[in-house]
Amino acid sequence: MPATRRSLLAGAAAAPLAGLLPMPAIAQNRPLRVGIIAPRAGVAGTVGEVGLRGVEFAVEKINAAGGVAGRRVELVIEEETSPRETTERARRLALQERVDVIQGIVSSGVSLALGPVLEESRILTVYWDGTTQDGVNETMPRSRWVFRSTDNECEAVMGSLMAIKHWRGQFVTVAGINPDYSYGRNNWAAFIAFLKRFNIEHRIVAEQWPRVGGMDLTANVAALKAANPDLVFSSMLFADLPVLMRQGHAAGLLEGRKWVFPAAGFQHTSLKREFTPAGMIFGHNTLYFADPQASPLAREFVEWYHAKTNDWPHWEADRAFFAMEVWRRGVEKAVQAKGASAWPSNAEIAEAMRGIKVVSLGGPGRMRRDGIAEQTFTQGPTVHDPRYDFPILDPAKITKLDGRGLQKPEGGDFWKWIAEAQFDI
Amino acid sequence: MSGGLRRALVALAVLAVLAAMPFALGEYRTTLLLPVFGYAIALLGINLLFGYGGLVSFGHAMFLAIGAYAAAVSGTVLRLASFEAALGLGVLAALAVAIPVGALCARYTKIFFGMLTLAFGMLFHSFLFRLYDITGGDQGLRVRRPTLLGFEFEDLDKTEFLIGPFYWYCLALAALLAWLMWRLVHSPFGLMLRAQRDNPRKAEYLGVEVARTRFIAFLVSAAYGAVGGAMLAVPTGLADPELAYWTHSGTLIFMTVLGGFAHFAGPLLGALTYVLLQDQLMTWTPYWRLVLGVVLALIVLGCPQGLMGLPALLRARFRPSATARPVPAE
Amino acid sequence: MGAFIEVTTAGLFHAAVLFLVAAGLQLVFGVQRILNLACGSFYALGAYCGVTAGSTALGLGVPPLLALPVLLLAGGAIAVLGPPVERVLRLVQDRDESLQLLLTFALVLMLQDAVRMVWGSSPRQVDGIYLAYGQVQALGARVPVWNLLVLLAALVVALGLGAFLKRTNFGRLLRATAENRRMAASLGVDTGRVYAVVFSLGVALGGMGGALVVPSSAATPEMAVELVVEAFAVVVIGGLGSMGGALAGAVIVGLLRAVALVVWPELELMAVYAVVVAVLLLRPAGLFGKPAA
Repeated sequence: MPATRRSLLAGAAAAPLAGLLPMPAIAQNRPLRVGIIAPRAGVAGTVGEVGLRGVEFAVEKINAAGGVAGRRVELVIEEETSPRETTERARRLALQERVDVIQGIVSSGVSLALGPVLEESRILTVYWDGTTQDGVNETMPRSRWVFRSTDNECEAVMGSLMAIKHWRGQFVTVAGINPDYSYGRNNWAAFIAFLKRFNIEHRIVAEQWPRVGGMDLTANVAALKAANPDLVFSSMLFADLPVLMRQGHAAGLLEGRKWVFPAAGFQHTSLKREFTPAGMIFGHNTLYFADPQASPLAREFVEWYHAKTNDWPHWEADRAFFAMEVWRRGVEKAVQAKGASAWPSNAEIAEAMRGIKVVSLGGPGRMRRDGIAEQTFTQGPTVHDPRYDFPILDPAKITKLDGRGLQKPEGGDFWKWIAEAQFDI
Repeated sequence: MSGGLRRALVALAVLAVLAAMPFALGEYRTTLLLPVFGYAIALLGINLLFGYGGLVSFGHAMFLAIGAYAAAVSGTVLRLASFEAALGLGVLAALAVAIPVGALCARYTKIFFGMLTLAFGMLFHSFLFRLYDITGGDQGLRVRRPTLLGFEFEDLDKTEFLIGPFYWYCLALAALLAWLMWRLVHSPFGLMLRAQRDNPRKAEYLGVEVARTRFIAFLVSAAYGAVGGAMLAVPTGLADPELAYWTHSGTLIFMTVLGGFAHFAGPLLGALTYVLLQDQLMTWTPYWRLVLGVVLALIVLGCPQGLMGLPALLRARFRPSATARPVPAE
Repeated sequence: MGAFIEVTTAGLFHAAVLFLVAAGLQLVFGVQRILNLACGSFYALGAYCGVTAGSTALGLGVPPLLALPVLLLAGGAIAVLGPPVERVLRLVQDRDESLQLLLTFALVLMLQDAVRMVWGSSPRQVDGIYLAYGQVQALGARVPVWNLLVLLAALVVALGLGAFLKRTNFGRLLRATAENRRMAASLGVDTGRVYAVVFSLGVALGGMGGALVVPSSAATPEMAVELVVEAFAVVVIGGLGSMGGALAGAVIVGLLRAVALVVWPELELMAVYAVVVAVLLLRPAGLFGKPAA
């Protein structure tokens, strides 16, 4: 291979870059720029807004305390839409806006597409959410720059364990109605893997895959009812879940069956009591607004949020808070290690973030060495409470699990882990 | 100077300017130009059907998706790193789809043709979207960084690769395909295509096999679409079903009309203008689609010849003697 | 038996909505030869108007059981957009058909964002209507009354439309214009007015379809571009320009989707397109269409 030509091209490509490369130790009083990518429209729009509130809360606190290692934080917010458009916007944030870190992303479709681009372009990123197993294994085996706030299947793992804990022996026929994308597919596969792991005799009578944002689920509801399952596992989320609940209630699908909704907490306040019976298993994951054991910080946030929006927050706020916190602690650790001489590079900050422990809104968590976070998860059966017009978790039956028990070990294979690990329920 | 020589000089000058762009623009703006090449190639194909053949396809995004997915499959499944292999695979796949679809659609014109192509495009979209195990569903398939003419450029990171070798590669390929298209529309085949557009019955009497001519034009435009699609997929690193959605087909037609479907270079100008306009609008307002819609409506109503027709339109306005009747592509 | 009834009514519910939109599409195409890509946008607009009207009415204390007429009126009210839009489309009526198609695509882009500007981009729902109507139980099936009422409303609209076209004077003028515009114009028909009325009627039909789905699901900005595809499948299957075709096509598409979801969920939409392709191969003009030139 004629090396001359290649080095010529490489040199030519690098030439326009030379002037733009960040200088070491540039003016340290320049604020740190944090790029946020969150959905602001469409089915996931409200989820993105809750995440942005979490960011707002975190940044208010950081700047009030004098910033990150003495530098104020300012935000550049971009919208998360389709994988392709979001990739372009991430590139804009990095190349044009020159942000120090990117945080955000809710949908797994987007996160999976974006991951390799961020890795290859060496952009420090902490995902809020949207990190589904299968794709991640293929696309980001050992990420250097991209950190993930959890494994997305944690909620499915916990939902499966909850179903087995509460209802073992009470169901044979099972059905799934899960959103038609990587997240829904993997959640359902995880649930079935757990039934096998615990040797639970079962028969799958229906598998429905409605499109995200499809909204009309009348026919899916009729199909599910025709299959007549004892238990339905559904990782439906976003605006589709209230629609499923309402149409299911009207068609008489909900009564007399056991329901597991690991992602119900994502839109808990729009699941009104009038059409959402009690006794289902709901996942509130890393932030449950009415947690009796909540930390003072979490209580402060929930009240701050309620005062601002007249609504109750869900876990996306915690994911956003957690992402900011991990990055902040990473920067401070790296600055300390480097001494006063120079500001640390993003590679050094990324290295410092590995293994860091933080206290987030939902409880203690840590960023593992492999860049996947472990956090505290909350799920349980629901009850109706006269104070709220939507079901809440039965305070006597709330289960909290540490991420360690819900995630594959570092470098492990998810499906093998389910088959072999010990789970105490 | 003869018209041919002048045109060649203009084309060379444009090429030279474009080739120098990575040095003049920053990294970000250079990456912004990459989709222009992909779209320009696809639009050349679409305009063969639309401007020269009089057929509006509302399903052409399907072929861009085929090119993109071919790039994904050749890199990840077949383990062929070469971009040329991806392009070849894309063209073959596009032809494999275009042959049955084209055979059906070439029997129709106008609205029926538009509707049928839309139906086939969405059939393909639902195939991409639903067959999760094969196509990755909504998350699509990853497109790996390819080698170009056997070179790996492993010492460049992704951005350097894109704004360096890949940029010039796309520019060269776009130039080559534009030249081929120029030859095609000025061949006897191009003449037959225009003849069937202007008057299919008369063309038939004169010995033009109308359906066959349309069919061949459809195949050529499908192949161009696949090449453009593969090119679009490399910078984003992704082939996703959105590429095949019908509104994307609408956007392709929009770009063609924006540049001017009656001119050979119209689509090229349209791709450039659209990409830059959209980027600018998106930073200004979240309601950029509204603005684009207004732009499209204004062009259709006031300047159906697109940007390429603007000078003639203005001349006609200020010199009433000159007329600006819409002239079909020659 | 219960399951059969439930799946069938679910399919027919969807068919009813599809029929309304497709009928609007057919009417406009039949008379004006315009293929309206924005038919889905009027559907979405109707849905959002339904959201506003429905929640306002409930807020004012209107009993939920009166929601059906309120929503129908709200969806139909967007007919006011018909005349100005038609006026613009008429500017290119004598030029290439593709220009009109492009204008309606421009409308799709504009309305999608206009809706987002007015109603925001998160899905909007109205609680308290759907469940207020209750359910009927028979033969082991349990069907929401609202779904049945929507079916009934679509049926009434279909019959009314048929009577309007066949029996009224204006209907005759309209059909005459559809047959031959120049001839009708030379006989003294005000074709401009006919076009304005037809287009507004098409808009109203789409709007009503949208308003009727709001109580059971939600209004989203994306619903516009998604419905167009199904509406097109309906008219291709039924035959462009034919009202009977719209009805038959809607029933086929609606039932096919519902049954596919039970039998083989992966094939849901593909089953619809497969029928489209089959119809094209065997009867290119559609089931009820006249053979096209």
